[in-house]
Amino acid sequence: MEITQILFWFLSVLAVFGALMMVTSKNPVYSVLWLIVVFFAISGHYILLNAQFLAIVNIIVYAGAIMVLFLFVIMLMNLNAETEPQKNKWLKIAGVVAGCSLMLVFVAALRQSDELLKAPVSMGGETGLIKTLGKTLFTDYVLPFEISSVLFLSAMVGAVVIGKKGD
Amino acid sequence: MSIFFLLLQQELLLTAIIFVLLFVKLSTKQWNSQTVLSFVNILLVVNLAAGFFFKEKGTLFGDMFQTNDLLRFEKNILNLGTLLISLQAYNWLLKHKHAIEFYLLMLSTLLGMFFMLSSSNLLMFYVGLELASIPLAALANFDLDKKRSSEAAMKYIMSSAFASGLLLFGISLIYGMVGSVNFTDIAVAASENPLFLFGFILLIAGFGFKISAVPFHLWTADVYEGAPVAVTSYLSVISKGSMLFVMTSVLSTVFANLLFQWYNIVAVLAVLSMIVGNLFAIRQQNIKRFLAFSSISQVGFILIGMSGANIESHSSVVYFVLVYLFSNLAAFAVINVISEASGKENIDDYKGLYKTNPALTWVLAIALFSLAGIPPTAGFFGKFFLLLGGASKGNYLLIIVAALNMVISLYYYLRIIKAMFMDANETPVEKLAISWSPKISMAVCMAGIVVTGIISGAYEYIYSLLK
Amino acid sequence: MWSLSNIAANIDQWLNANMSPTWALIVEMVIAGVAVIGLFAALGLVLVIMERKVSAWIQIRLGPNRVGPKGMLQSLADTLKLLVKEGMTPGGADKLLFNVAPFVAMIVAMLLLAPIAFAKDFQLWDLNIGVLYISAVSSISVISILMAGWASNNKYSLLGAMRSGAQIVSYELSAGLAVLAIVVLTGSLRISDIIQAQENGWWLFKGHIPVIIAFIIFIIAVTAETNRAPFDLAEAESELTAGFHTEYSGMKFALFFLAEYVNVFIVCAIGATLFLGGWMPFHIGNWHAFNGVMDWIPSSVWFFGKTFFLIFVIMWFRWTFPRLRIDQLLNLEWKYLLPISMFNLLLVTLIAIMGWHF
Repeated sequence: MEITQILFWFLSVLAVFGALMMVTSKNPVYSVLWLIVVFFAISGHYILLNAQFLAIVNIIVYAGAIMVLFLFVIMLMNLNAETEPQKNKWLKIAGVVAGCSLMLVFVAALRQSDELLKAPVSMGGETGLIKTLGKTLFTDYVLPFEISSVLFLSAMVGAVVIGKKGD
Repeated sequence: MSIFFLLLQQELLLTAIIFVLLFVKLSTKQWNSQTVLSFVNILLVVNLAAGFFFKEKGTLFGDMFQTNDLLRFEKNILNLGTLLISLQAYNWLLKHKHAIEFYLLMLSTLLGMFFMLSSSNLLMFYVGLELASIPLAALANFDLDKKRSSEAAMKYIMSSAFASGLLLFGISLIYGMVGSVNFTDIAVAASENPLFLFGFILLIAGFGFKISAVPFHLWTADVYEGAPVAVTSYLSVISKGSMLFVMTSVLSTVFANLLFQWYNIVAVLAVLSMIVGNLFAIRQQNIKRFLAFSSISQVGFILIGMSGANIESHSSVVYFVLVYLFSNLAAFAVINVISEASGKENIDDYKGLYKTNPALTWVLAIALFSLAGIPPTAGFFGKFFLLLGGASKGNYLLIIVAALNMVISLYYYLRIIKAMFMDANETPVEKLAISWSPKISMAVCMAGIVVTGIISGAYEYIYSLLK
Repeated sequence: MWSLSNIAANIDQWLNANMSPTWALIVEMVIAGVAVIGLFAALGLVLVIMERKVSAWIQIRLGPNRVGPKGMLQSLADTLKLLVKEGMTPGGADKLLFNVAPFVAMIVAMLLLAPIAFAKDFQLWDLNIGVLYISAVSSISVISILMAGWASNNKYSLLGAMRSGAQIVSYELSAGLAVLAIVVLTGSLRISDIIQAQENGWWLFKGHIPVIIAFIIFIIAVTAETNRAPFDLAEAESELTAGFHTEYSGMKFALFFLAEYVNVFIVCAIGATLFLGGWMPFHIGNWHAFNGVMDWIPSSVWFFGKTFFLIFVIMWFRWTFPRLRIDQLLNLEWKYLLPISMFNLLLVTLIAIMGWHF
């Protein structure tokens, strides 16, 4: 096996394991920490695809900022394993059955899509680099980019209004 | 360069209004709220009027954005609805400390809907959709000191985040199969490949959440009940209407190759929505919850029209959304006035309303007649065209189910009308003085219900836009 | 000429001559790892004694003076003490997180060393987004602090961790914007490109006043990011005993302590690289004779000299300014530093576009 292949399998197993642990952890703090592990594994995948910028932004935004805020809230509210609401047993079983059915459908759909495997698309090594990304972002995708700034503005206004409950 | 401004005219105008409001809010001067509200309403009237002046069509940003006569018309419908809601909310906003923010958020969502309508690309569609739904959660929380309102916002943001997740998963699968997010490329590449179908079904699930079709409707009643009345009407008319427009055009153009698949999905969604919406609407006590379930069943009827997948059915959907806008907003206008004045939102409180407020009662009654689809009103023609569009596929079972559901819906709409006109009440709603702005709104809605029904020009106009 | 890069090149040649490429790569990684750990230990010893001596000098006293010549071996003795001390885990603590947290802090600090150029052609990993990599990885350090604070099950620890989180997340913004100023001027995120762009003069001198402003903001922001006085609210002794590491003792405490000092070293190294030319010698325009003399000084000396100068400045802050209150701290960032650095970034962009820099 080549080193990239070894890395790929390692990161994939780490991501899936982290995701499972995140869902099954009783303690919310552990869930957040496992989610951070998942983000790291996915960033590793991005690096394997030569999309360094995406990888780094994934870490900065998710692991560095959003998850820290999550941790903040969870720690300040002092959510422990005890405060986690206990779900009905039947509900859990139903959830597992539903999840497995979705998985089954997905796997079955993937298996029948052989032509995908036959025609891998090569985007060229330059695609994920920051220079290419910046150029595409400011030419082809400038409209969605600008709209997302309006989205952030309005989200900010909304957050401030909700935060002003007291007065 | 000028074509750029002409094509983007509606969006740019809206953005300009948003920024004007932002600067009004940021200015240190303390504006009189009456002045501000009149100013905003004038801006909205200008916004609505300007939509009718230009007729350019074309694409921009390399197929990111498209506009044509139909899209302009649909945007004008949404503009009209927003103006009506703004007029209805006048009294509520006068007392509210954050009136400008209300408009900022509402117009941002409207802008998102415009871009969603004009998208010719799944990415643009998604960004527009997010812009149309995230600020709505903040709007649902606008009764700042009420817990129910926060609960509504929480439920809305959670379910819309979940729906976005499904939608994004679907989009990524489709992108993986096609290698492009462009609608024209997807239309060419759409095939019965299992993975593509899987992505497509997830996409429909995302749509279903936003229009609250039945397996995805669970958030609707709670959010409608908890949110302020103005926001509830916005959610049920504008948000849902824009999504229906997009869904109709996306299904019939982009996924035309998969007609067989989505016809069945849409038919099942339609039947479930009608039945569940109707059955739950019968046992509701709160008028906002009642309208939530009634809107679910209306969506079921619209889905029948959508399943026709031809020009007639497409125009019937647009026409019905227009009619639904007038009827539903008329109903909400009355609810808004009563809730604002007395805080009463239960159906039992509406008993004996005719004795004290005959005008309001008539408005609500006509609105409910229109929603039920009783002949002289526009609602009848709307439903008639929808069923006609759906019948073009030859699936008469669907039409029979729809007809049965119309009868059921008649029962519960008439129940409210009976309560208002006939039932006695010891503590009826006292006589209310209605101020000018809800009056204008109600008058426009009444005129709309009558005119769009009696004059067949509206449907033919939409039909001509589509050809 | 003797230099670090020659040594590295020789080792690489020798390994490749004697082994298969995969094994050579693995052995090189091991060597790099050992070197990084060695550097860590050395930095810990040097910086602790340096801090104590600087504080003593500023406060006009002697400082440590018993162990070794002029007390220079004091920190070695301290390390020995910490090593043999019992590492306790409080009963109510979350055992796993409590024990993992110091190692996370350490690993983050180690990862940060990867893109730093210690001398000419001497760099572990010259990745094309070096600067972003640094700000990404350094934002992880807050997680270890939050882990430690929460797992200790102690109100002081939790308060300290919360403060530290708020502080790091907010000051990251202006640190990032200050770094972006240099990125805009250079047009590259790669550390080696940034250093190369300063061949004819450091950015601090070439970039006019906006770069000087960016430099000052950078220094303030990284002082806050490393939780050092006057921004050491996370461990404010007079209020919170010792903040997030109140419950730590022995080696685990030492790891936090070490990580903190290494972080100081790293941010100063980055400051030196971005604003003071990294290993680039001090050159003045066309003074060839002067420039030639400067070139004689090895590049590693330049790098460490600049870095330790910045470390000295940051230590100087600690013993000069009184501690801020938490609201003052957040006001400083959100009301002053952030708007200033945003406006400053605009100015720098203007300078870069018009080519006004030297």
